[in-house]
Amino acid sequence: MHWTEQTETMAKALVETQKQVWKQWCELMPGVPSPTPFYSGPPGQGGEEAAEGFKAWTAESAQVVKDVADRLLTTQQELLRFLELSLRAWKTIAPKIEAGEDWHAALFNFTDTLRRQLLQFPQEIQKAFQDSNELWRLYCEQWKGLVQPWTESMRRAPWHFGQASAGDGSALIEFTNIYWDAYERTFGRLLESPSLGHSREMNEDLLKGFDAWLDYRRASFEYQVTLGQTWIHAFEEIMRRLVAQAEKGETVPGVRQLLSLWVEVVDHTFTEVFRSEEYILLQGQVVNAATAYRIREREIADAFLKASHLPSRRELDEGYRRIYELRKEVKELRKAVQAIKGEVSARATGEAVGGKPADLPKDTAGKPILHILSPSACWTTTVATTVPPDEQ
Amino acid sequence: MRFPLPLNPHETARELIDLNQKVLKGMENLGRIREQDIQGGVSPKEEVYREDNLVLYRFTPMVDRPFPIPILIVYALVNRPYMVDLQEDRSLVRNLLKLGMDVYLIDWGYPSRADRWLTLDDYINGYVDNCVDVVRERHGGGPINILSICQGGTLSLCYTALHPTKVKNLITMVTPVDFHVKEGFANLWAGCDAGTQGMNIDDLVDAFGNIPGEFMNLGFLMMKPFQLGVGKYIDMIDILDNDEKLRNFLRMEEWIFDSPDQAGEAYRQFMKDFYQGNKLIKGEVKIGGKPVDLGKIRGPALNVYAEEDHLVPPPSSIALQRYIGSTDYTLRSFPVGHIGMYVSGKVQRDLPPTIAQWLKERG
Repeated sequence: MHWTEQTETMAKALVETQKQVWKQWCELMPGVPSPTPFYSGPPGQGGEEAAEGFKAWTAESAQVVKDVADRLLTTQQELLRFLELSLRAWKTIAPKIEAGEDWHAALFNFTDTLRRQLLQFPQEIQKAFQDSNELWRLYCEQWKGLVQPWTESMRRAPWHFGQASAGDGSALIEFTNIYWDAYERTFGRLLESPSLGHSREMNEDLLKGFDAWLDYRRASFEYQVTLGQTWIHAFEEIMRRLVAQAEKGETVPGVRQLLSLWVEVVDHTFTEVFRSEEYILLQGQVVNAATAYRIREREIADAFLKASHLPSRRELDEGYRRIYELRKEVKELRKAVQAIKGEVSARATGEAVGGKPADLPKDTAGKPILHILSPSACWTTTVATTVPPDEQ
Repeated sequence: MRFPLPLNPHETARELIDLNQKVLKGMENLGRIREQDIQGGVSPKEEVYREDNLVLYRFTPMVDRPFPIPILIVYALVNRPYMVDLQEDRSLVRNLLKLGMDVYLIDWGYPSRADRWLTLDDYINGYVDNCVDVVRERHGGGPINILSICQGGTLSLCYTALHPTKVKNLITMVTPVDFHVKEGFANLWAGCDAGTQGMNIDDLVDAFGNIPGEFMNLGFLMMKPFQLGVGKYIDMIDILDNDEKLRNFLRMEEWIFDSPDQAGEAYRQFMKDFYQGNKLIKGEVKIGGKPVDLGKIRGPALNVYAEEDHLVPPPSSIALQRYIGSTDYTLRSFPVGHIGMYVSGKVQRDLPPTIAQWLKERG
C-alpha cells in the first residue's frame, strides 16, 4: 500500500475508531445521550460527553476511583489526539521525503501552525495588556465568589499538563493558569458591595492588587509560551525519530510502542527544559508573582471580613499563634514537673535505703521547690526560672 | 516511504478498539472498588501515645520474644507514613516484624491552620523527642533504634546530633543530606542556585500560612510530568482486568495524592536552611537555638539510598559519609527509584533482612 493510500485509510480508520471508542464509553454508562450527534462532530466531542456521563456513573465510588477513572478517560482522549496529530504531520512531510526534498522545512511549517494554534490564547491576553480599561474589567471579573478553589486548581494541574502535552492549547491555558481558576471564583462580590466600593482604603488595596495581578498575568503568559514551545519541540523530536526509523526501514511494531515513544520523548524534552536556569527563573517568577498576588488578595479579603464583623485571617493567625505559644509553655511546664517528680522520687528512694538524699532544685530565693507539685506553684517556678540572671 | 508503523489501518484501529474494550472492562472492575478495599496500613497496631495531631503506634510483634531494642520509624512530613505498611505483600513494617523486630511508627497526622506556627524545633525537640522518650520508657529506658525515611531522615539526623545518647543505632533511608546536588529537581526548583528568585519562601509562607499539600504534590509530579500524568495511565490499561493489581495501583494512587499540608514555620526553615542554604552539611542549622553538628553522631549508622532516585538523588544521600562523626558507618543501595524502596519486590525481599541483620550485629 502506498503511503498516500495508507494515510488516507488510516485517517478514516482513526475517525471510525474514535466514534467506536466514545460509543462504547457511552454505552457503558447508562443515562448518557445517544452517541449519534458526535458521529459527525469534532474528535474531542464524544470524549466530553463520555466524561459527563462518567461523573454520574462513578458518583458512589471512592474518590481515588473517580480520579483514576477521570485520568484514564483523559488519557484515551490524548492518545487519540496524538495519533491524529502524528498522522497529519506525516501526511505533510511524507511527500517531501519521497521526493527527496527537505522535509525539515515542511515539518517546521506544520509545527509552526501548531505553535500558533497552541499559543493563540496567550496572544489575545498579550493584546489585552495594552488596554487598561479591558485589563481592569478582566481583573474585576476575577473576583467572583468567595469559594476557595486554589487547592482544587493545583490538584488538577497535572492532568491539564497531560492534555497540554498532547497538543491541547486550551488545556495548556488551564495548566499554566493553575491559580487563574481561583481568581475567577474569588471576591467579585466585594466590588458589588456599596459599603466597600466607596471605601478609599479598599480602592487602594484593590489597586495594589491590580498591580500584583498584572505581574502574575505577565509571568504566567511567559511561562505558558515556554511550555507551548517545549511541547512543539517534543513533537518535532518524535517526528524526527519516526523519520529516522523509516529511513532505516524500521517500524514501530504497534500503537503501544508508538505511545511509549511519545511518553519517553515528551518527558525527556520537558525534563531537559526544567533543568535549565532560564526555566527555573521563569517558574520562580510565576510562583513568586502568584504568591505576591495571593498576599494582596488576602489583604483585600481581610478588609472585607473586618467590615463584615468577621475575624480576618490575620486575626485568626494571631489567635493561633497565642494558642501555640501557650501550648508550648504548658508542654515545657509538664516536662519540668515530671523532671522534678523524678528527682523527688529519687530522693525519697535514697532516704529509704539510707543513702544521701539528692540535692533538690531551688527557686531564685534558694528555697527548695518541693511545693512545685501544686499547680499554682508550678507557674511561680516558671516565672522564677525565666528571670534573666542579672535580675536575680 | 511508509509511516513507520506497520500501518495496516484496520489492524491499528482494531488495536485501539481492543485497548478501549480492555479499559471499559476494567472500568467495571474499577466501579466495584470501595474505599475500604484499598486502605493502606494493614499490620495490626495499637496507639501508645498521642500529642496534638501526632499518634505514636506500636505494631503488634509477630514473635514471642522480639529483639529487645525497638525501632522507631520516623517518616517524612510531606507524605503519609502508611507507605511503609501499604499492603500485606508490600510492607516494610510487616517484614521487619516477621524478622523479630519490635516496631513503632510516628504518624504526624494532618497539620491544621492551628499548627501554622509549629517549628522544626517543635518537631525535632518536641514530637520526636517525646516519642523517643515514650518508647525508651516502655523498653527499660535505654537508647533505641531509629529508622528514618526521606525528610524524616533529615529530621532524625538533626535529632541524633542533638540527643546522641538516646539513639543506639540510626538508619537513614533515601535521605537528603546535601541539598545542593544539581541532579535533583527539588533542589533546583527550591532555589539551591536561584535563591529567592527561584522561590521566595517567606512570601509563600506568608501568603498561604500552611503550604497546601497539593502544591507540594504538583512539584513532585512535575519532575516526571508526562510519565506520571499520562504514561502511567496508559500502562494501567494492562492491569485493569486484574483485580489484585488494580487494587495495588489504587492504593498507590491514594498514597501519592494524600499529601498533608505543611506547617508554615517548619516549612519556612526547612526550605531556607536546608534547600536554599544547604546549612546541614555546613553545620549551620540551628534547632531550638542549638547548632546541629553531624559530627556529633558517633553511634552506628546505616545509610540506604535508591540508585534511580529522582526525588533524592544518590549523591545527596551518599554525602552523609563526609559529615557524620560515626566510625561505624555502612552504606547500602538498591537499584530502584524513590518509591521502589517501599514497593519493589526485590527491595522488600532484601532490605528488611539487611536492616535486621545490621541491627542484631550491633545489639
